[in-house]
Amino acid sequence: MQSESVTASSDRAIGGAHPWAIEADGVTVAYDARPVLRAVSFRVEPGELIGVIGPNGAGKSTLLKCMLGLIRPDYGSITLFGDSIRSTRRHLAYVPQTEAVDWDFPVTVRDVVLMGRALRGPLGWLRAADRAAADQALRQVGMTKFADRHIRQLSGGQQRRVFLARALCQEAEMLLLDEPFAGVDSASEQAIFKLIDDIRDAGKTVIVVNHDLSILERFDRVLMLNQRVIAFGPPAEVANDTNFRATYGGRLALLDQADETLRRRSMPKDTHLDRTATD
Amino acid sequence: MIAQLQIDPTQLIEPWTARWFPQTLGSMLVGITCGVLGCFVVLRRMALIGDALSHAILPGVVVALLSLGWFGVQLDGLPPWFLAMWLLVGALGAGLLTAVLISLVQRKSRAKEDSAIGIAFTAMFAVGLILISSLPRGTHFDLECFIYGDPLAVQTPDLILMGVVCPAVLLTVALMYHRFKLISFDPVVAAAMGVSVAFAHYLLMGMLASTIVAGIKSTGVILVVAMVITPAAAAYQLTNRLWVMLVLAGTIGALSAGLGMSLAFMVNTPTGPAMVLVAALLFTLAVLFSPNHGWVFDRLRRLRLARHVAAEDVLKALYRLGPQPETGYVEPIGTETGLPPRKLVKTVARLCAEAVLTIEQGRLMLTQVGKRHARELVRAHRLWETYLVNEAGFTAEEVHATAEDLEHAHELSDALFEALGRPDQDPHGSEIPRREPG
Repeated sequence: MQSESVTASSDRAIGGAHPWAIEADGVTVAYDARPVLRAVSFRVEPGELIGVIGPNGAGKSTLLKCMLGLIRPDYGSITLFGDSIRSTRRHLAYVPQTEAVDWDFPVTVRDVVLMGRALRGPLGWLRAADRAAADQALRQVGMTKFADRHIRQLSGGQQRRVFLARALCQEAEMLLLDEPFAGVDSASEQAIFKLIDDIRDAGKTVIVVNHDLSILERFDRVLMLNQRVIAFGPPAEVANDTNFRATYGGRLALLDQADETLRRRSMPKDTHLDRTATD
Repeated sequence: MIAQLQIDPTQLIEPWTARWFPQTLGSMLVGITCGVLGCFVVLRRMALIGDALSHAILPGVVVALLSLGWFGVQLDGLPPWFLAMWLLVGALGAGLLTAVLISLVQRKSRAKEDSAIGIAFTAMFAVGLILISSLPRGTHFDLECFIYGDPLAVQTPDLILMGVVCPAVLLTVALMYHRFKLISFDPVVAAAMGVSVAFAHYLLMGMLASTIVAGIKSTGVILVVAMVITPAAAAYQLTNRLWVMLVLAGTIGALSAGLGMSLAFMVNTPTGPAMVLVAALLFTLAVLFSPNHGWVFDRLRRLRLARHVAAEDVLKALYRLGPQPETGYVEPIGTETGLPPRKLVKTVARLCAEAVLTIEQGRLMLTQVGKRHARELVRAHRLWETYLVNEAGFTAEEVHATAEDLEHAHELSDALFEALGRPDQDPHGSEIPRREPG
């Protein structure tokens, strides 16, 4: 497979630790007999910063949920650091999309960050070390000043930084971020990317799901996904028209194509390509 | 109707006398527990499931009583604690069965969750109502008290149930607080972190069912859901912290139960409606008077802001137009600010009292303080105009109205001044006043 050859070329051994942070092998997931992921295989080295891109419905979130162990693949397997997800779970930190958050929930910024430590102590009680870790994470994302604010009273970029702080506070080896840049201004985007770079520089593996094409070059490698792996490699190698067209253009199944045609007839242009083109 | 109610104020303290105190205390304990659990029900949007559980408990309790007959056990000879626990088992079984039925209907039919809940719990309730008629003669089962709540019917087994269930539930919530918080706020992340969300869900449901069965005789099946939701919803109005919400909901639940008992004795009605009425009243007060989300304080804040803006507009108009005759200022300043005359006169009077404006020799003018403030406003206005044109892509013609609103945020002027590179002129070519020293 295309993805295999690309991974093999950048193969280098990591002393001591397991050579692969993620090994996805033929991952296939279907909802109600409708495939969302088809035989997805790729390998990620520890300490890599990976961007996962693709249009809506490409299976990005499903892939993320597989990596988190929330969905079991129908076929194929994913191992993290050479082990099953169940046993590596505490090395994972997940930053969800902020649209899914209930912003009226009665929690302050610090409360949210402390949730990253909710399972540490006996019965989930917080210890002084947990509070210190939360304060440290807040400092790292520059949100100390806002620690006692309610989460509703933050800007979009600040909200994202809070959830990033919660992930930091988990002291995980791998961070999975779902659309961390959706709906933030470019200054916040830069600030968030700076944080992601810092996390990577600290030796953590970072997976960022994103459908914005404008920041591809900041990733070590880019996984282009549309139900199957279209391409996987350094941005300079994979960012070409053929791959973009394969990722954002045609689907595999004829039915999907018919679907797409009907959709386009009602909406003259593909909104994804449209949005990224103006960025 | 109201006139026919027999109101007897002397009965007000009756629930607090030795004869009724255990019942009152028990009801308050249930009120606390319902309120605390209710916070999670409200935050997780499961109010309908709470209602379903309470109704579904009826067949559970009836079957528990029936089964004693099947085993040939005489009700009179039973120790009260055994009866209490047996009823609890029946209620939990029924609650679990309802939960299973709901998910079964949801998965096997096209009905969505709300319909599935509606179908499952009414069916369970109907089964309960039918089974009651098959209870053996001599079994004391007062359906009316079960539905409406009656402190007379709260007997030793019920008190035991309250005394065991409520502390157990409160302790569990205290121990699992951080987990419950995480699961309620962010179930997906909780699952990714390895928490069993399903286990926590059923634990919560089980605790809710136990609490409801403990309190059902004092509140009644139909209204017990109000004791779960209303105090929690009231507390939700009042705070932005979860633990504060739990404490407040517990307090409001206890108050509703205690005051509800008094009310019920006073007007000689079932206790359930009285407690729920008190809870609803407390909720209304919370909606009106919550400091952050309440209607009253919200109106006050708006009023204060409107006054502030009017005052600043008057200052600026006087700064621009210069001193005006005491008797004729309404016309020019009214035109300038767009304030209606009555409001304008009031605003001027207030500003004179604050020594921002003064009247000297029949002329209305700014004092030193007023002048400085007005200059500050003009500065903010012109800085914002510059900002809007330079940074936000407005044209010079369209910025005035927006800057008119933004100038009231004059605390930001200095930051704006620096960010813009210390401009001298606004987009219209007018001079931007420098900040006055001091």
